[in-house]
Amino acid sequence: MAVNDNKVENKVETVEKAEEKKPELPNTKEGRLVKELLEKAPYAEGSVRREKRIEFKVPAERIHEFLELASERFEMLMQISVVDWLKENQFELVYQLWSVSESVHAFVRTRVPRENAEVPTAMDIWPVAETYEREAHEFFGINFKGNPRLGPFILEPREYEKHPLRKDFNTLSYVKTIYGDDFDRYDESKTNYVI
Amino acid sequence: MGEDFISYELKEFKLFEPLFRWARKKSIWLVAFCTGCGGIEMPPLFTARYDIERFGMMPNPSPRMADLFLITGYVTPKTLKRIIITYEMMPDPKYILAHGSCPINGGVYWDSYNVVKQLDKYIPIDVAIAGCMPRPEAVMDGIQEIMRKIESGEADGWKRYRENYEWYRKNQDELFGEGWREKDAKRWLAWL
Repeated sequence: MAVNDNKVENKVETVEKAEEKKPELPNTKEGRLVKELLEKAPYAEGSVRREKRIEFKVPAERIHEFLELASERFEMLMQISVVDWLKENQFELVYQLWSVSESVHAFVRTRVPRENAEVPTAMDIWPVAETYEREAHEFFGINFKGNPRLGPFILEPREYEKHPLRKDFNTLSYVKTIYGDDFDRYDESKTNYVI
Repeated sequence: MGEDFISYELKEFKLFEPLFRWARKKSIWLVAFCTGCGGIEMPPLFTARYDIERFGMMPNPSPRMADLFLITGYVTPKTLKRIIITYEMMPDPKYILAHGSCPINGGVYWDSYNVVKQLDKYIPIDVAIAGCMPRPEAVMDGIQEIMRKIESGEADGWKRYRENYEWYRKNQDELFGEGWREKDAKRWLAWL
């Protein structure tokens, strides 16, 4: 058994070593797009995921600069989505861009710390960013510097204060305080058992 | 305001009551206010396939002339404010048909922070259809049930709302906070 285990470990090591080398960009329109952008922005990391799908990782302090560069080829901002990495204490912002001329979808990922998260607004590049930023501000509490309309948007005021899509928002206790706990899903006695 | 064309004396005079009930049952007008996912079941219900007009029902854009209110699916506090205002605008023999499990107990949105768990605490429901989502056949079954209840006088949600208004009002105020009518409803309805 021990011999087998060693073999497995060796295999894992070799795989990791292989991954350390930077994968070469394919000679497709996606690969050429990534190459073109990375030449202008060497601080970013770029890769091709599959056909019509490319991905960039950008440090947070240079995100606005990178988006400005990317907007030459990617005319459309489709969405700003947020991922809450609770253990790493970070928010990941994913700008989803669409290139109308090339038909390529790009993810631009950037990470900011969770406390007092702050990112420059993308409104001056794509005016539509206003809505997505308001939404991200309301649900996660990220502050977009330069966006004039951050404030109550979709949620009720009491939800707005708590940022309900954060991973550390305790939905169950919130539900019990707001809607009452006369119907308890985890009721042991099953007197009020509903589901 | 809101007095029926039938005078008080005639209401007390129960001789014509069966006739009135029969007429109400045969001419139900719906509020066209699609709350939640069940709105998607309404087009086949109203159009040629299931053709609900055979029952003498009609979707109606004005709550002032409606009898039946369909709560079609989950209800968030924001929608519930509108639902309550719309329900209170309707003239008095008024009935509520709730579709699906969400108005009964929250359904799949049980743990969700923005879905009302038990709609019956805030407005009276006459007939609730279980399931998610009820097919038009199930909705038609619910409609026949509410017709039966109208004819036999069991559909008394509007009476319950009047008699227990303090209780309903208390629950609504607990959820929305005091003074929500003045704050929110006045913004939508200038004449309130």
